[in-house]
Amino acid sequence: MIKLEAPQFITRHVLFALVAGGVGGVIFMFFLLEFDHYSSSNAFCTTCHSMTYADDSYQASPHYNSPSGVRASCGDCHVSEGIIMATYDHAIGTKDLIKQMFGPDYDDPVVNLLHLPEAAFAARDWFRKRDSATCKRCHALDAIQGTRANTAAIHQEETAGKSCIDCHYNLVHRQVPSEQTFKREAWNAMIEEEFGLEPGTAAELLATE
Amino acid sequence: MMCFPLRPICRWTEVLLLVCCAIGSSAALAAKVALDPSNWGHPEGENCVSCHEKSSPGLTQQWHDSAHKVAGVNCLDCHQAEPAEPDAIEHEGQIIATIVSPKDCGRCHEQEYEEQEGSVHAEAYAIIKDRIPALAHNVTGSAMQAAGCDQCHGSVVKVRGDGTLDPATWPNSGIGRINPDGSKGSCSSCHGRHAFSKAQAREPSACVRCHSGPDSPDKEVFEASKHGMLFAAQRDQMNLHSDAWVAGKDYTAAPTCTTCHMGAAGKIPTTHDVGLRNAWNLNQPVSYQQYLVLLEDGSKLELPATEKPPKRGSEVEKADGSVAKVKAVISPDRRRSVMSLVCLECHAKGFTEGFMTQFDNVVELYNTKFGEPAEAIMAGLYERELLTPLPFDEPLEFIYWELWHDEGARARHGASMASPNHAWWEGMYLVGRNFYSRFLPEARAVAGDQAEAIIDPVLSSSGQHDWTDDPTQANPILGWMPTPSPRAGDLTTQSDASTETGAAVASAQEGVTDRDPEAAAAETSSEQGEPVSGVVPNDTETSRTSEEATQ
Repeated sequence: MIKLEAPQFITRHVLFALVAGGVGGVIFMFFLLEFDHYSSSNAFCTTCHSMTYADDSYQASPHYNSPSGVRASCGDCHVSEGIIMATYDHAIGTKDLIKQMFGPDYDDPVVNLLHLPEAAFAARDWFRKRDSATCKRCHALDAIQGTRANTAAIHQEETAGKSCIDCHYNLVHRQVPSEQTFKREAWNAMIEEEFGLEPGTAAELLATE
Repeated sequence: MMCFPLRPICRWTEVLLLVCCAIGSSAALAAKVALDPSNWGHPEGENCVSCHEKSSPGLTQQWHDSAHKVAGVNCLDCHQAEPAEPDAIEHEGQIIATIVSPKDCGRCHEQEYEEQEGSVHAEAYAIIKDRIPALAHNVTGSAMQAAGCDQCHGSVVKVRGDGTLDPATWPNSGIGRINPDGSKGSCSSCHGRHAFSKAQAREPSACVRCHSGPDSPDKEVFEASKHGMLFAAQRDQMNLHSDAWVAGKDYTAAPTCTTCHMGAAGKIPTTHDVGLRNAWNLNQPVSYQQYLVLLEDGSKLELPATEKPPKRGSEVEKADGSVAKVKAVISPDRRRSVMSLVCLECHAKGFTEGFMTQFDNVVELYNTKFGEPAEAIMAGLYERELLTPLPFDEPLEFIYWELWHDEGARARHGASMASPNHAWWEGMYLVGRNFYSRFLPEARAVAGDQAEAIIDPVLSSSGQHDWTDDPTQANPILGWMPTPSPRAGDLTTQSDASTETGAAVASAQEGVTDRDPEAAAAETSSEQGEPVSGVVPNDTETSRTSEEATQ
């Protein structure tokens, strides 16, 4: 019979530290899981007033109201899968929190809309760099049928070298042109018209930030 | 179109030389595309086709069937855009624009673009821009501008800041559309996309979407004319798919809208300036003949020939408010002579001149008898503030509007294109009915005790309304029969004139004026067996009923 004996360096203190560290690690992992989960929820995201504008358009989209009852939350699309990448995304995402606290007044609907294009361009880049990975959590290219006659064929035959986001942008949130064709003056003019502002107000707002 | 051989052009007539050189059109066929083929056939275009065969198979099939496809022109050749263009969007990796403007088409179809851009069609929006609110916004609502006015006249296409096209202005293929690139018009107004078939554009139906209905019933007028009759019966002989389509040479079966207003005929070249050959403006309260003013900047302008022609080199204001220098002025007579040359392919000179005289006479009649007096009466009522300046808040304004804009236009168009029914029953008859039974009574009511000052002088100065001064002049047209009271002299010259017959006439007239027409007719026919000589009603009635009996 083999008698297991702890090595000499396993002192009581070391043993305690290992047990505490292990338990602490497990707790920390659970914390991260729960934290990522919670911080990916719609409720968490919309605790900032500035995010309620994104929420409005989201709630009007099929990603919120799908006929099948499947509902994608903010995090389902905007936070990567896996605890490491999810944590990383959240860590990077704290820049939004910093901007919210120290940057322009994003809670103001006009200011929010003025900055929407940059946010949209960044989000699209984010999707593109990840090859639309979060889309694929739910959507499998070879399973897409669609309701129109040739939707399946288009997705089988016309998507080589393309990622979901290449075609499917302006899907959930308010329409923003592609970065290539975006025209700041036209965007500002649209906001001024929408909010009944004097022409030039939008540019002034941006300049004084 | 780029692959069609260009028919050699021979000699020109003097008139044509002047007009045609001035407007720069030179070919009897659609102009040959001068651009080198290396400029089209975008390699990425194949990808568009592959996907759109599935996503929008209808329009893709139309393209497959088109001359564009045969020539190697694909989606991107027309839809490609520069990112800086106002309506540029990113689509599947390409920068494109939904709207293909005349300027875009003009990259290849230069001559057509130049002609169209200087035509009255291109000004269709500018012409009514200031008037739109009165009807489209006040009387109805702005939704009607998008769905009504703008669909023919063209919208000012608005690109929103988010890159989308404002649905208040798009979709639209109005002929005077103001495009995001600044060009005017829409080729697809007449040339159905995406087949862009020559044959389709040569059909009268190409014009019908706008040139129909109460105010410009050209569809109805054409169909009711001998030209339309022949077209319907001999459409299969129209050679509509032919590359060359010169009236009198490539087809003789019938003319279409295109034939007279745009088409090549004999030595007259084709033109995309659709108003070029029109001497008159027929859609005004009072018609006037028009100069065609060619401007230094390549555009054109129509000015009333009632005024002096502008001098060469002088500056004139265009419909869109900009100013340009005058290069040349073409008189209404010259415009008419070009139109007449089309007629001469099928008609003799005397016939053509006679027709034009009949047409001109109708316009003159409308002008002098109804248009000018009605305009003067309205002006009088406005001047004396008996009408508010706001249009359509008083019934008389609708009456006046329909008089010239609908009924009057219909009469003039009917005469211009030889539909007797539209010249008369649908046109001038309604003008007359409106003028005497609606316009004048309402105008008198509005004028009140000033009617004598405002209305009567206008009517008497025209000299064409005197017939109303003698209400005793009878005529059998209304189906019942009060005849002119036989004058004493007439009665005595009749064979057995007597005081008795005179009394009979008097009693017969009393009878018809007091009773309804049917009773009167019954009474007269009951007397058929014993005709009273000298009593015209009975004679007329007898002959009419016997005529009916033989039918």
